[in-house]
Amino acid sequence: MLLDYERLGWLRVALVGFTAAVAAFLLLPVVFIVLLSFGSSRWLAFPPPGWTLRWYQQLLGDPTWIDAALTSARIAAMAAMLAVIIGLFAAFSLVRGEFRGRQVLRGLLLTPMVLPVVVFAIAIYAFFLRIGLAGTTVGFVIAHTILALPFAIIPITAALEGFDKSIEDAAIVCGASPFQARLRITLPSIRIGIFSAAIFSFLASWDEVVVAIFMASPTLQTLPVKIWGSLRADLSPVVAAASSLLVGLTFCLMIVTALLRRKLSR
Amino acid sequence: MTRSFLSIRALRKTFGAFVAVHDVTIDVPKGEFLTFLGPSGSGKSTTLYAIAGFQDPSSGDVLLEDMSLLSVPSHKRNIGMVFQRYTLFPHLSVAENIAFPLRVRRRPDAEIKRKVADMLALVRLENFADRHPGALSGGQQQRVALARALAYDPPILLMDEPLSALDKKLRQEIQAEIRRIHRETGVTILYVTHDQEEALHLSDRIALFREGRIEQIGTGEDLYLRPASEFVAGFIGNSNFLPAEHLQTARGASTIRLADGSIVTGIKTTTSFGQGQRVRLMVRPEAFRLAPGATSAALAVEIIDTAFFGDRRRVMARTAAGDEIDVRPASDAEGADSATTSGKRIFFDPGSAFLFPA
Amino acid sequence: MQGISFRRSSVAGLPAGSGSALPALLLVGLFFIMPVVALLLRSVTDPEPGLQNYATLFGSGTYVRVFLNTFLVASVVTAVTILVAFPVAWMLAIMPPAMGSIVFGIIVLSMWTNLLTRTYAWMVLLQRTGVINRALMGLGIIHEPLPLINNLAGVTIGMVYIMLPFMILPLVGTLRAIDPMTLRAAALCGASPFEAFRRILLPLSLPGVAAGGLMVFVMSLGYFVTPALLGGTSNMMLAEMIAQTVQSLLNWGLGSAAAFVLLVVTMALYAIQLRLVGARRAGGGI
Repeated sequence: MLLDYERLGWLRVALVGFTAAVAAFLLLPVVFIVLLSFGSSRWLAFPPPGWTLRWYQQLLGDPTWIDAALTSARIAAMAAMLAVIIGLFAAFSLVRGEFRGRQVLRGLLLTPMVLPVVVFAIAIYAFFLRIGLAGTTVGFVIAHTILALPFAIIPITAALEGFDKSIEDAAIVCGASPFQARLRITLPSIRIGIFSAAIFSFLASWDEVVVAIFMASPTLQTLPVKIWGSLRADLSPVVAAASSLLVGLTFCLMIVTALLRRKLSR
Repeated sequence: MTRSFLSIRALRKTFGAFVAVHDVTIDVPKGEFLTFLGPSGSGKSTTLYAIAGFQDPSSGDVLLEDMSLLSVPSHKRNIGMVFQRYTLFPHLSVAENIAFPLRVRRRPDAEIKRKVADMLALVRLENFADRHPGALSGGQQQRVALARALAYDPPILLMDEPLSALDKKLRQEIQAEIRRIHRETGVTILYVTHDQEEALHLSDRIALFREGRIEQIGTGEDLYLRPASEFVAGFIGNSNFLPAEHLQTARGASTIRLADGSIVTGIKTTTSFGQGQRVRLMVRPEAFRLAPGATSAALAVEIIDTAFFGDRRRVMARTAAGDEIDVRPASDAEGADSATTSGKRIFFDPGSAFLFPA
Repeated sequence: MQGISFRRSSVAGLPAGSGSALPALLLVGLFFIMPVVALLLRSVTDPEPGLQNYATLFGSGTYVRVFLNTFLVASVVTAVTILVAFPVAWMLAIMPPAMGSIVFGIIVLSMWTNLLTRTYAWMVLLQRTGVINRALMGLGIIHEPLPLINNLAGVTIGMVYIMLPFMILPLVGTLRAIDPMTLRAAALCGASPFEAFRRILLPLSLPGVAAGGLMVFVMSLGYFVTPALLGGTSNMMLAEMIAQTVQSLLNWGLGSAAAFVLLVVTMALYAIQLRLVGARRAGGGI
């Protein structure tokens, strides 16, 4: 009866209450930061003495913030694109391949997700220092593609595993070339997986802090690096404004994802 | 004062506007094997769940020796139950599964040990004590479930379609097992099934459910030989139904006119029909004969198909009005080997036929 | 063999077989394996060949304290995360979907929100004059502001916040895989809700708890951002120590040695976690 929601009695009241409290705990910082970004207190007093858009004006009027955001977007877009393409190819091999060591290969390609980022960060930093890629966009994109790759591979392999290969074979029997069959039959069928892969790998790069801290140069820094720097200096409300915009972006992304998924899965 | 052991009083269960159980009342004497039979969604499982305490009835009561069970939580009802799906605890061995109800009752270890051994012997799984449920066949799992449900000597055992996940051969084997255990333990059993053969084979009495109500309650013989309604007749055993018109009834025997105009007299009736009322004549397939008897009525048919089934044959016939009739004569019955022909006649004893309102 | 296999016939287009994994393998080999291996070599060659970096690491009280603190924080975070996540996952597994999807939405929103944003929010919330201290004082529960930041409490709150989704989501799957009928059977057998929890529900969900807990523990061991911002200097964790050793002290040898230790521990625990998950799959979803 412990798994019958209707029959839990007083236990249900307690557990639902606890769940609501945890949900509130999870929501609290997100809501709080958005409210704070409109507060007029320089010292982040809460509840704020008044409401203002000053921090947003400061944020949007500061070219270093805009630059950082654009840099982040550019790097994340490139890393996500590379991760999805490379991941798509890899997924075909991981799902369809019949060679020894397939599981080992899968484990290897997913390792960047498990290894503590700080280890990878200093390793790739040292490596890029030596070959002159540290502090460059190319270096950033390579490092972030590696970190994003597992987030691309997982949803694509899952989608491909759920796709019945005999449909592709049927297309070939109908006269399509293997390439046409994959392009016209298989890819559209696993588009939800590819779409998830794009979102996740974009976020993996967009939110990445640790590698970015090492790789950043005075002329090339991503948004997280900019925020990190501000946080270490002081708790300026401008960071709250930047954070709120990020929360807004996340929210939009969630809604777009939900809508697109619903549309794609029809 | 005759008190029944278990008494279900005007039990009613609604889900929103849907009435799952309509004021069901049943009295069950101690030691009886009572089966709730009916199609899915007829309210039989819901009634059983109310007794088990998985669902609260909307109104009505369930009394065990005159004490209401409704306010007692499931774990204090002291009722045994075997479920449709295997519900053995997958992380415990067979012996630990059977010991579970005794452990939570904090019985002494020696007693638990003895009782588990008794139960394993009862279901004949002595050699499986240390196996885990995952290593057992479906039939073995249900036998362990039976042992677990009986380990604490509950006065009532509920069984919710316990054989539906098993194949036919295993079903028959476990049915025999259940009969033996009922005989040996004398436990009162409430058994839910949608399988009429299972119900006939196992039960002392059968309560036939239809759309939340009990259509008829009685022994298997009652339901088969004296069906109270067309539904009962159709659900228990095989039946042929022919549209007819009621002409008259005298001294419990009715006269009707069939669709092809032929008149049949001497059909036993307990219901009263008006003259000219549309009725349905029900005749069991095995009640038809291919040769005339002393008191038989005849039906002009065309034979469409015959098939041989060992002890019986199956003959498909069609009346001039287009109604198909299923005839199951014994293989060696007179005329049973007749080939596909038209212009045949089949016969039945009006005393074995029934009339129901159309 | 059903149908006709065209697996090997692709010359043009998307290649199949093992070949199409080549770009990924090349990328990971060149820019992941090689740098990491080079880093590990550096731990025994920089500044001179030998194990002196490891000797320093395990010989110095400062570094040993960092190791101990790392394990302490990861353990506390894992324990608290499990305790908080279990009831939530339990409810999510059996709640009406309409209610559950709201909670799921909140979990995903928090998970997708920028890591620094969330940590920043906690920095502001937990500071001496922050909302939480003010609220507690306003309610008269405390009279002095509690030290909630730059210490173990701060790290624990911030880390548990981040780890909760990683524990809740897989645990919901584990709990949903348990047949509710099993618990009904336990109740009819006479088990009180407490007994049914202790003897049935908990043991049956233990593989999920263990797998999720191990994952949270591994992630916590190597976490950098949140401990660096919410933790204090006296309870520095390994990842921050590695970063500092390399970035501020420019002691690559020592930093590499510490990184190697972190890598070995992480990978060993990850292997155990894979075993657990694998065993669970083989065991038929128990």
